[in-house]
Formats: sequence, C-alpha cells, structure tokens
Amino acid sequence: MFQLDLKSRKSIYEQIIDNIKELIITGILQTEEKLPSVRELSRMLTVNPNTIQKAYRELERQGFVYTVSGLGCFVSPPDNRLVDQRQINEVRERLRGDIMELFYLGFNEEDIRSLLQEMFEERGECK
Amino acid sequence: MITVTGLTKNFDGFRALNDLDLHVDKGSIYGLIGVNGSGKTTLIKHLTGILRPDFGQVLMDGCPVYENRQLKQRTGYIPDDLYFFSSTNLNEAARFYRSLYPNWNEKRYVEMTENFHLNKKIRMSRFSKGMQKQAAFLLTICAMPDYLILDEPIDGLDPIVRRQVWNYIVEDVAEREMTVLVSSHNLREMEGICDSVGILSHGSMLIERDLDELKTDIHKIQVAYRSAPENPYEGLNVLRRELRGSVELLVVRSSREAAEEIIRRHQPILFDILPLSLEEIFICELGGETSELQNILF
Repeated sequence: MFQLDLKSRKSIYEQIIDNIKELIITGILQTEEKLPSVRELSRMLTVNPNTIQKAYRELERQGFVYTVSGLGCFVSPPDNRLVDQRQINEVRERLRGDIMELFYLGFNEEDIRSLLQEMFEERGECK
Repeated sequence: MITVTGLTKNFDGFRALNDLDLHVDKGSIYGLIGVNGSGKTTLIKHLTGILRPDFGQVLMDGCPVYENRQLKQRTGYIPDDLYFFSSTNLNEAARFYRSLYPNWNEKRYVEMTENFHLNKKIRMSRFSKGMQKQAAFLLTICAMPDYLILDEPIDGLDPIVRRQVWNYIVEDVAEREMTVLVSSHNLREMEGICDSVGILSHGSMLIERDLDELKTDIHKIQVAYRSAPENPYEGLNVLRRELRGSVELLVVRSSREAAEEIIRRHQPILFDILPLSLEEIFICELGGETSELQNILF
C-alpha cells in the first residue's frame, strides 16, 4: 500500500499518518473504504502494532477515519476532516522556502504566478 | 507487564545496578539502551530470574520472577552468548524446549525450520554463528512466550533473516500481545521497531519514555541572523550550542512550536528545525561535553 522510509527524520508514526492521509486525499482510499487492520498493516510493513494503533487513533481524532468496534477502521466522508493549523503553517513555511528558491533561480513574480496558474489548471484536468 | 522498583545489585563491592526502576506495558516493544557497562545485561539477568536482587523488586504480572517456574515457562530469553548442549541437533533441542515450555507450537516449528533453511539433523555446534542465532530465535519463538527478552539479538543476522525475525515478533505482539524487551546498540533498528525506550546510565534508569514523545521534545536547530540579536533563546532550554561561522547550531529541549515561535521573533535569515534521531538523543544525553561528540551531533 505504501512504503516507509526508515532513514527519514520523520517518525514512523508520522509517516503512517501522512501516507494514509495522502491515500485518502488523492482518492486511492475512498470514503467508507475499510483500512487494513492493525495486524495486517503491522505485518505488511514490519512495524510495531502499537505504533499503527496510535496512528489510527490520531487519524480518527483528525476526522479522517472512524472506527466501528469489531469491524475495523473506515475512511470518513470529507466534511468530517479537521483542519490542522499546525500542518497549514508547515506547508506555508515550505512554500515560502520554495518560492525563495525560485527567486534564486531567476524567476520573477510574474513567472511564479504563471507557474502556479499552470499547476491549478493541471489539477483541474485531473479532477 | 514488567515492573522493576528500586533494584540494586552489588558484585564484590561494585554496584552494578543502583535503585533502578523500569516499567514495560503488556504488548509493548521496549528498547533498552545504554553505553557499555551501564548494566543492561545485569538487568536482563534479573528479568529472567537468573540473578537475585540485593534490594528491590522484579515483578512480572505482579509476581516476583526469581525462582518462579510458572513465569519462566512463559518467558523466552535469548542471551548475548548462546549455549547449546554439545552434540545436539535442532530436533533434539526442540524436544528439550518442548519439555520445558507448555505452550510449544509444533506447527510453527515445522514452518520456521523451512523458512530459515536450517538442517535439523546436523549438530548445532557445526552451525555458523549466524545460524546458531537463528536457531536460538526459532526455538524461543516456537515456545510461544508471553514475555520475550532479547539481549543483543540481531547482531550476526543477515538482513533477510532479520526482517523475518522482526516479522515474527511483530506478529506475536499484534496477535497475542506478547511483551518484548530488547537491548541493542543498533539504535536505528530500535528506532524503527520500539514504542518505548529506557536509557540506562551507571546502573540507573536515566530516561524512560514513549519513543515518539521523547522525539517530539528535543530538536536540532540551524539558525543565522542578519545581525546577532541579544539573548535570542530566552525561554528555551538549550542543551548544546555551537557557532560555525555565522550559522548557529543548537540542540534544544522544547516543543517544535515553542522553539519556532521564540526564534522567529528575531527574524532569522536561515532557520531549519529537525527532530533528533534516537542515536543523536543518546549521544546528547550520555556523551558529555567533549568536542568530538559535538562533531557527531552537528
């Protein structure tokens, strides 16, 4: 389903959360779809089941999944998802860095604007 | 659950363990780390009921471990230095384990010997070191222990077997809430598998915590300012600090948010914040002040 990067500075717990969110946001895991059980996933990735349990709990807290006892974990409908201010800040910082880098590479404001426009259109096509 | 309180052990006047506390939750994978000679193996020998405490208590499920047969039948232990009876082969060793461990799983034994490609009929003394370790692991995990205690278990195993071994452990933790305590110097591997860690120093527990929590409150920071502000780190617990040219390198103990807020106030022109790896935390906590260590850290 996804791979973990053991060399990453990000903890395995965060990697699991981020990977599952990505799968949900891109629609690879669809609303109401069942996530693999803790057992299955821990075996698949050779990861401590407690870590996966904890990641699932956090995903549930953020409204990405919900648990039905005895049945497992399922993807929540999009409007249940919590907006994570911390993560927005993180992305904002990352963007700031990337835009700086574009300036270093000789882009001006207009170039960056049209680059962004291009990306929005690309996304519009896939949707 | 494993609970150790106030454990003290002396050997001929040398205090190997000093008022040591340890807590391992049921179904947890606990990593025991510490420099050489910090008492890891001595502690493990208490957990397995081999040594008797001078003071303090070593409890599993609330019962003292020393000379406790019922608990030992439920505990699997792989020591640092393996021992097999001199002329036994794997099948004979399995028969011996079967007689000691009531939960022995024959089906798993058959399956695992095939997976590990071990010859069951030749003397185990003829096995290579790595194969002996594999054999020890196989016998222990087939005993279906509720407690698995591993002293430097993965040294000498090739990457494929290592992965298989961890898969068996993870499976047993998920399926039947086996409790695992593992000591190792391979911190990268420990970081990938443990949920809590205990750091031993001079026979006492220095830090014992959930691994992810431990990692969320210690950070490595790279920062540079246009003009150096006065007292830029007020309110931050700075553990280490070094200036390289105009770039300052810090290790701080605080949450990411707090560190960001305080440092951004001074409008840095360069600002990177990274979590520390377990290896770096270890060095930071136990390394002392030598400059050599600074180089590893930054």
